[in-house]
Amino acid sequence: MEIVVCVKPVPDAETRLRVAADGTTLDIEAVKFVLTGYDESAVEQALLLKEANPGSKVHVVSAGPPPRTEEVLRASLALGCDLATWVETPPGVAPDPVSAARALARAVSAVPHDLVLCGKNAGDDEAGLVAGALGELLGVPDFSSVLDLRWDAAASRLRFQRSTEAGMETWEASLPCIVALQQAWNDPRTAKLPSILKSRRLPIAKVPPDPAPPAAGTTRPTKFELPPPRTGAKLIEFKTPEEAAQKLVKVLKEEAKVFP
Amino acid sequence: MTAPTLVVGELHDGALSDATKEAVAAAQSVSGKENVVGFLAGSSPRGPAAGFGRCGVARAFVAEDPRLDGAIDAAVAHLVASAADSVGADLVVVGGSTFGRDLVARLAVRWNAAVATGVTSLSRAGAAVEVRRPVFGGRATETRHLEGAHAAVALRPHAAAAPPEVPGEVALTAVPIEGVPPALWAPKCSGVKAVAQGAGPSLTDASIVVSGGRGVRAAENFHLIDELAVSLGAAVGASRAVTDAGWRPDSYQVGQTGKQVSPQLYVAVGISGAIQHLMGMISSRVIVAINSDASAPIFKVADYGIVGDLFQVVPALTQEVRRARGQ
Repeated sequence: MEIVVCVKPVPDAETRLRVAADGTTLDIEAVKFVLTGYDESAVEQALLLKEANPGSKVHVVSAGPPPRTEEVLRASLALGCDLATWVETPPGVAPDPVSAARALARAVSAVPHDLVLCGKNAGDDEAGLVAGALGELLGVPDFSSVLDLRWDAAASRLRFQRSTEAGMETWEASLPCIVALQQAWNDPRTAKLPSILKSRRLPIAKVPPDPAPPAAGTTRPTKFELPPPRTGAKLIEFKTPEEAAQKLVKVLKEEAKVFP
Repeated sequence: MTAPTLVVGELHDGALSDATKEAVAAAQSVSGKENVVGFLAGSSPRGPAAGFGRCGVARAFVAEDPRLDGAIDAAVAHLVASAADSVGADLVVVGGSTFGRDLVARLAVRWNAAVATGVTSLSRAGAAVEVRRPVFGGRATETRHLEGAHAAVALRPHAAAAPPEVPGEVALTAVPIEGVPPALWAPKCSGVKAVAQGAGPSLTDASIVVSGGRGVRAAENFHLIDELAVSLGAAVGASRAVTDAGWRPDSYQVGQTGKQVSPQLYVAVGISGAIQHLMGMISSRVIVAINSDASAPIFKVADYGIVGDLFQVVPALTQEVRRARGQ
């Protein structure tokens, strides 16, 4: 199976968020960008499917600015991806999700692809738009919020679960298709030092970004705000558990006004 | 004059979902009540589409075809775009759901719309549509202007209150199904089995969530969390420690790699508050923490805290909630 996995460099979860000087975006000065969250699970799932289905290849693709995009591609190669393609965009802010999907679609359509995997959303903008936009651009179905993804080679069917508002759904589909992953079979692996060293010398193919069609709508950030720092919990003082319960229900009713 | 706004409906138990009603309310406030048009696709959408009337929507499109029940996203996106164009709508609003997010992603390409998901507030700023949305797991909020001829927005659950119910009638117009290019009907899947749904509201929909963590100590103690949740009418969540230990299935996990929730009230029981968990719940309106360790980081983000033994506090709280709610 030819598997393509799409990834995005995202600020490390421990990053202290700061507003950029113009007030419209995150200040990315000194921010460490990594392969993380659902994208990391998507890479893990791609590698697991490859291992379970001999003869498969995993091709990692990313659209974004230097140097962080190259870094997450190399991190993916170090984990065991076979090939990498980078759609390089201008330095600084990442392309918006739909522009990224247009760039990814161009890269994906140029290589063999049975299954296109991506994370359910990225931990920074949390848009979750790439899979659906890719589906529309490539003319294939897409499935979001997927868990427990299996390839049944005998039946040539993908079998998986989807976690939606309605509950857990059981699905099957044929290839090609796009899957936005919520969870891999297990925790993402970590790369070993020899693989990391080797990944630095591996080639990364480059594709120029596609210009958006002139009619396409655009989105422009106008403000980036951080909430006032949380002051810490108001602790409820009590002598017995019953007193704690009564006082909590009272504040939820009268002060917070969230008691059902 | 404000252009019409199309609200794409979704069904829950055979009626318009709460998320759809919230989308109607948001559309009414941004475009004016008389400028909102409904849309519903499915095998028999006419009955449930009457629900638009009870939300104060006077006209709605229905796309009727059994194939539309199977979540044929490309076909639905095509029908939505053609319905929107036929009334000159410049904005499509969808509720905060998996369906809503997937649909606007396709409209970004098919309808050349400027799109945003997870939107908590919506307004017009000149020719642009202005949206506010939490990012970075609720640790920041961004404001964006959607610019161009078309915009499509998927809300975040609970972004708006459902409109008051009125005895209104809605005039239905059929969207011609024949216009859908055959390729878009390609069956994307088969063998969808019955949805396994637990009791109570779903995690991402619920206005109250009660989550248990490592402090619960064992699977057989988790009923304490379930009982508190039932008393509050809440959904049950869990921290990663709980799902990793197998005390609850992965679908319960709240956090960076699990579900992201933003209820009115989040009760964290026996959860220390690792950053990965906070990224799934920090945008909740009110957070209550119950933990025996006064130095647990969860108390830094909570609004109210009880430093105490959950095995004593939670049963007492369940009793008190039942009493207060007359159960």
